[in-house]
Amino acid sequence: MHFFNTIRWIAWKDLLSEVRNRENISSMFFFALIVIFIFSFSFSLDPRTVQEVMPGIIWVAFGFTAIIGLGKSFLAEVHNDCMEYFQMLPVPKGAIYLGKFIGNVLFMLIVETILFPLFVLFFNLDVLEKFPQFLLIFGVATVGLSALGTLFSALTVQVRAREVMFPILLLPMAVPIFIGAVEATRGVFNGDAFALYSHWIQLLVVFDVIFVIVSFWIFEFILDF
Amino acid sequence: MVAIRGIALSKSFHYHQVLNEISLEVKEGECYALFGPNGAGKTTLLRIFATLHRPSSGRFEILGRDGLGDRAKIREDLFLIGHGSYLYDDLSVVENIQFALGVRGGHPTDHEIKLALDRVGIGAFRKLKSRHLSAGMKKRLSIAKTLLIRPKILLLDEAYASLDERGVVMLNDCIREFAKEGSAILMTTHDRSRTAEVAHRAGVIQQSVLQEITIQEMLAADALF
Repeated sequence: MHFFNTIRWIAWKDLLSEVRNRENISSMFFFALIVIFIFSFSFSLDPRTVQEVMPGIIWVAFGFTAIIGLGKSFLAEVHNDCMEYFQMLPVPKGAIYLGKFIGNVLFMLIVETILFPLFVLFFNLDVLEKFPQFLLIFGVATVGLSALGTLFSALTVQVRAREVMFPILLLPMAVPIFIGAVEATRGVFNGDAFALYSHWIQLLVVFDVIFVIVSFWIFEFILDF
Repeated sequence: MVAIRGIALSKSFHYHQVLNEISLEVKEGECYALFGPNGAGKTTLLRIFATLHRPSSGRFEILGRDGLGDRAKIREDLFLIGHGSYLYDDLSVVENIQFALGVRGGHPTDHEIKLALDRVGIGAFRKLKSRHLSAGMKKRLSIAKTLLIRPKILLLDEAYASLDERGVVMLNDCIREFAKEGSAILMTTHDRSRTAEVAHRAGVIQQSVLQEITIQEMLAADALF
């Protein structure tokens, strides 16, 4: 029972802190806005071009905003030695990982929910009918990104070159997630039947499960060396 | 019963030996004060007992449990007030307490939190964000957490640092109360006269070794080191 309480309290604390200081969300939002703005002027907005380039643009924006947000995930724990308090907690350290991970997933989904209407607006996308499919893809890809991002954020938070190390570790590992997410998003934009791109979503789910389980297991050793 | 037992504990950082075969016993209901010059290894010894550092050699037991093998169980019984405040700047005083206890599996009521905050003298600031607290108020907040957790082992690093006169009196009252309830208290400090009011035994760490002294010797000496 302590295990689930710990998860709940950590996720609550992370979301509440973020809502109050808005440091991460504002930097992520403005970065994504610039990406959308630049790409919207770089490509002609005919439906065929939009269909071809949109999956890539969306995931470039989401991927890099994830790097900005997830990279700072454990920064708050370093101030005032809160990481030390986590170390001394009488709970499995995996609970701390899951709490941070859930907080990050919710936080990322909030950012994506804010950003996606901007894509619709700037690129004149017709997505109303396909919205549930987009939601599914964004959800499963965000889980995978957050699982890896939470782990690598904890690994690099005490490293001096944290800003450099975090993307170096995250991006190669996240390649399968980006490939799956872009291909599935392309399927939705092309108007393909769900069966034609569902294998990409299945791939994302498999990676989600692997990344969450492995990160949960490794986290014990990261925090309690 | 012996609550804290260190057996030939040594600790080196790279080639620098901080502690050399230190043995120490603190019984239940006893307050043990550690003195020593800056850099003597007092904090390192406390952090070993808090399961934050592993000794280079030797072993220790907390309430009869092996300090290296049974860390999860040990952590249920101990609490460290260290150099870090373990606070989140964007959470209020009450929210910080709720979080700190919640992640440990505690469920303090609002009334209990109010009583603890009133007792340590910061009841009027319970809605204030912790970023606005002074160092002394942060220390008082840590003491309030201790009052709610009521650990069997209390480790106090630089016990009186940042506290004003009233704060010191309040902390000594708490230490007496904990000792009366059977908790073992191990504290590091430089304030001999204040420590003499609560400590049952004392020791000086100097040149990596611990030498036990009586309270009378502690008070009578011109300088301990």
